[in-house]
Amino acid sequence: MDQYYRLNKTECREFVGALTSRYQVVAPVKRGEKSFVFARISSPDEIASPEEYIPTIIPPKKYFFPQRETILEYDAVAQRQKAVMEYEKVVIFGVRTCDLAGIQCLNMVFSERPRDVNYLIRKNKLIIIGMECWDYCDEHALCALMDNHLPKGGYDLFFSDLGDYHLIHVNTEVGEEIVRSIGVFTEATGEDLKRLQEFREKKRSAFDTGIDLSHPELMDLFANCEDARVWEELGERCLSCGNCTTVCPTCYCFDVIDEINLDLRTGERFRIWDSCQNEDFAKVAGGESFREERSGRQRHRYLRKFKYPLAKYSRFFCTGCGRCSRACMAQIHIKETIKALIAERAGV
Amino acid sequence: MKKVKVAFFDFACCEGCQLQVANMGDLLVDLLDRIELVEFREVMSERGGDYEVAVVEGSITTHHDIERIKKIREKAKILIAYGACACTGGVNGMKNDFDLEDVKRYVYQDKADWFDTVPTMAVDQVVKVDYYVPGCPVYIPEFVRVLKCVLQGLPYKVPDYAVCVECKFNENECMYDKGITCLGPITRAGCNSWCTNNGNICYGCRGMVSNPNKNAQMEVLKRYGIPLEWIINKFNMYNRAKEIQPQEKE
Repeated sequence: MDQYYRLNKTECREFVGALTSRYQVVAPVKRGEKSFVFARISSPDEIASPEEYIPTIIPPKKYFFPQRETILEYDAVAQRQKAVMEYEKVVIFGVRTCDLAGIQCLNMVFSERPRDVNYLIRKNKLIIIGMECWDYCDEHALCALMDNHLPKGGYDLFFSDLGDYHLIHVNTEVGEEIVRSIGVFTEATGEDLKRLQEFREKKRSAFDTGIDLSHPELMDLFANCEDARVWEELGERCLSCGNCTTVCPTCYCFDVIDEINLDLRTGERFRIWDSCQNEDFAKVAGGESFREERSGRQRHRYLRKFKYPLAKYSRFFCTGCGRCSRACMAQIHIKETIKALIAERAGV
Repeated sequence: MKKVKVAFFDFACCEGCQLQVANMGDLLVDLLDRIELVEFREVMSERGGDYEVAVVEGSITTHHDIERIKKIREKAKILIAYGACACTGGVNGMKNDFDLEDVKRYVYQDKADWFDTVPTMAVDQVVKVDYYVPGCPVYIPEFVRVLKCVLQGLPYKVPDYAVCVECKFNENECMYDKGITCLGPITRAGCNSWCTNNGNICYGCRGMVSNPNKNAQMEVLKRYGIPLEWIINKFNMYNRAKEIQPQEKE
């Protein structure tokens, strides 16, 4: 029972206030009418209301793997170079289970040898406080289909709203330290855990997947879909704006660029997010592109979520957050694509 | 280090892009350690002399312009097309949608015969261009990047992906989510989504990506109930004279 604590809702402000006085805290804040971003907060009032908040424009991956990151500084004349590692200790507050899954995927990718030191050092400085959803955030979410609607680790603390109080699961020593040092928590009882189980039971029925496929079936659907007509259709509609990949919690492609200073001697090497949807992504010397057609690029994106990572990491790389569908200019929706593949296979 | 001699020239334009250089502040001082300005009408009265790098703002719209840009090209080792007008024809390209005589009469009225005019052309429709700095106005960090490439003898590649990429990096709320249309999805990035960061839409001033899915973009705009003519006008505002294809021309 020592892993669980209670936090009365009346104490929430005090908790967040204490957190912001001890750490740099980022949390979902409202950006526009329908959009949210993870941003630095200094007061609990800035945090978006949990009922309202749908997945942020960019997932919390930006704290692990920033959009643009300096990795090296050099002096071209002296032939000297220095690796650069920039990090901050940050608490990421209010991370949904879909985004926890996304971070777990990236952890696997960047831990592979050769290890990505920048990512891993930064990861060790980040403290994650998760937050449970009790219903779909909107029609684009498919977390239940991807089995990411329930927490499966990947956090320091995890908050489940049980009505007039939060039940907090402590998953790490860092999490334990936060609970101990900010004395607003009380120990949970067996009753609280029973209540959590009741909420989770209700949750299972609330999260109807809408697509009747088991994971082996979903795997099978994407295992043999290379020649599907669906990709041609997506290719005709796609604008190649790259929104789907930029906002994806498990897309991690980047380009590396050297930029010299005006002294024409010193400079920096940085990496910047890249996208398989961009025209130049698969272009090689001589101007040939391995994925000239948009249809091929869209197919590649889907297979990078539903096929290739299964062979390499034994898990889907779609977390079900629905960001790609929300951000698509051409209304290419992931649930529709899956349904279209099912229909095509059935010969409809 | 020997300073490179640079001259600025302007053709049909508002000279706003050159004004961006005058507005650079401290960065201009650093830049002047590397280059020597030998001609720049907007900031200095001295003129003439030899130059190695010609920075050309504006589009080509008269026979005289054609002769002049050819002479500049002959003299310059490196020619930089500077700003939307020079790179794509810019807003001046809208002229090409009308009959040339009508346009002349509309502007110069009874004095129309005194003036010469040709359809608007981007600089590279007349002479070879070595570097492009698109935008209306240019984005100064990109101009500096281009100059550094010039000084090092390296090519500069204008990004061939959409403004949306940078706009998403900056986590702006999508204009389309606000019910406003925007040309970001088919316009070349490289401006760090300057306009949308400041609440404006993308007008497509940097020219289209090399392979825009125009039909798909029209479909997207149609969904917002915009008449086809408006959509075409939107595309044409900066792109009528030509669509920029810097890399592909090589």
